[in-house]
Amino acid sequence: MDIRLLDYQTTTAAWPHREGTRQAIENKTSGLSRNSLTGSEVDTWIGRVKQIDADANSNPLGEWQCRNNLLAHYCLQQGTFKTSLEAAIEHYGGARIGIIVGSSTSAIDRTEAAYHALDDHGQLSPEYQQPLVHNPHALGLYVAHLCAISGPTMTINTACSSSAKVFASAARWLACDLVDAVLVGGTDALGLSVVHGFDALQLVSNQPCRPFDQHRNGINIGEAAGFALLARNDHPFTDMGIALTGFGESSDAHHMSHPHPEGVGAQQAIEQALTRAGLDAADIDYINLHGTASLANDAIEGDVIQRLFPATTRCSSTKAWTGHTLGAAGITEALITAETLRCGIVPANLNLQAMDAKLNLPLSTDNQVKACRHALSNSFGFGGNNCSLVFSRCAETDKS
Amino acid sequence: MRVYLQGVGAFGPGFANWSELQAILDGESSDSALPPAPKPSVIPANERRRAPMAVRIAVETCSQAVAMSGIDPKDAACVFASGHGDTQLTDYMCRELAGEHKQLSPTKFHNSVHNAAAGYWTIATGCRQPANSVAGLHQSVAVTLLEAMSQCVCEQQPVLLAFYDTPTAAALSSLLPNEHAFGMALVITPGDDSGRATALTSAVTNDVSDSAYSETLPATLSHLVAENPAAKALLLAQALTRIAASSVTLTLGQGSALRIDIRPPSALLAGK
Repeated sequence: MDIRLLDYQTTTAAWPHREGTRQAIENKTSGLSRNSLTGSEVDTWIGRVKQIDADANSNPLGEWQCRNNLLAHYCLQQGTFKTSLEAAIEHYGGARIGIIVGSSTSAIDRTEAAYHALDDHGQLSPEYQQPLVHNPHALGLYVAHLCAISGPTMTINTACSSSAKVFASAARWLACDLVDAVLVGGTDALGLSVVHGFDALQLVSNQPCRPFDQHRNGINIGEAAGFALLARNDHPFTDMGIALTGFGESSDAHHMSHPHPEGVGAQQAIEQALTRAGLDAADIDYINLHGTASLANDAIEGDVIQRLFPATTRCSSTKAWTGHTLGAAGITEALITAETLRCGIVPANLNLQAMDAKLNLPLSTDNQVKACRHALSNSFGFGGNNCSLVFSRCAETDKS
Repeated sequence: MRVYLQGVGAFGPGFANWSELQAILDGESSDSALPPAPKPSVIPANERRRAPMAVRIAVETCSQAVAMSGIDPKDAACVFASGHGDTQLTDYMCRELAGEHKQLSPTKFHNSVHNAAAGYWTIATGCRQPANSVAGLHQSVAVTLLEAMSQCVCEQQPVLLAFYDTPTAAALSSLLPNEHAFGMALVITPGDDSGRATALTSAVTNDVSDSAYSETLPATLSHLVAENPAAKALLLAQALTRIAASSVTLTLGQGSALRIDIRPPSALLAGK
């Protein structure tokens, strides 16, 4: 399998665009800050994209206004992404380009705000009468509108694996020749529902999150947007020199909000991704772990990695930079993985002080300069929904 | 893409299963009241009490479709689709968060994920296959068919599809009007050894409208199709009940649609 990334962009609390990713990684600049959500007293840290705060307080998107769409809008304007998209539309036609985006919370930030302003009859007040926003496909509809793409448009909502699974579906749509290119992506915006929901599950930390640390005590919620333009490898464009070469999807069949204790679903997704890529575990140079800093995830995921990979395979969780960006975590970390391959800088496991005593993972508190050929990214979500992706550097077209 | 239909399940106003829906589509009059809430036995009773109505309807129709297909649910990948999501839980959370205490029930929070039905189904049946949960507002049925058929063909694996939407919570009902619960599930396979399955052949076209239905569907079902995003599946259901080969078109995006040609098994054609 060889699906090319023509261009990509990522916006998180730690970097506003792809071009800023390398600097934030090199300088180990975290985007986490104390919870500042209006009306929330949960003692925790969050990953907030401050660049969109001003627009969130006005109404620049009109009928499309919501924080989730603002994140998508901001990210899609960065770098050369629009130009790349326009070239693809020009070449293939807008109806031959698909949209597959992932989101866990969709536009619930806007629905929360609307419920603060219900009218005397308990109905949404006029400024919140937005049928295209208050639904789980809001992101797909907005991206289609903004980018003038008229091909098949789908939003995947499988919690924290949502925007990893977009790559799997896009690969199949391309393999079946249903479309010639797919705009994949994901966004999730901060809101009270996720911060208070994860607090109700006793999963949020009152400190900056510390994935795989002996003293980790939970996750930090973050917001992010990420997009990538995908095409089969016979496309006529200059690409990023990175290919999606494998994916694996599975279910835990265990519990709605707790991972399988032996990580059977996670292992199945990783093994399927490796098989599809035609690679052995030893071929993987870097693993971007799901690593949420919850007690259960890190113990179970760490165990699976130790079982499957040699002790020399470098791995890290990057959530101490971005927070857990939920429905946007899949694409955010897929693109960190792509940047690792492109730039040859393996991210540290930021905020690690002492590794969980039950684990023996090759984690480091330092970045490492290392040329990587193949890398894996893990995403696991509620409902026991797992997705692993393999990306590879294409030696022959590497223009970076 | 060509796949074969091995099983169907249905639940909605006036029908509790596929044969009752078929009878209505064949012109039999029916009481349009919603049957009693389904109690899918595949979910253990203590879990079932916690399962939202949308999940119970989805799991019930899946159980029916899988039973008809004879396929082990452990072998089928699944794609679940709801156009509106669970607005009752959205309403619960947003009301609670607009109040003073902002205390969410942990169970209601994890049930609020769009993939709750996929989670309950895979947990209940021990299915470790890929499970997807998608939304496309009024294109939900079309994109789900596209997604499931491409998965079935590419992975050479049976796929279970479930479409379901439940009545909209009061505060959101002017935006997303829907008064009725509806669910339908299908099991498709990449091949058919028996020669008895209906073949579904799909193509992406440049059409920009759904097949007309208001003249041909009974009024109660026509109303359902107009409001309930999952009920677009009734257009496929209607085409399936025809004895002759037929087709249905469903929009996928602003400039594309999915055309599905339906070819009943030759035994059925010869017998009638």
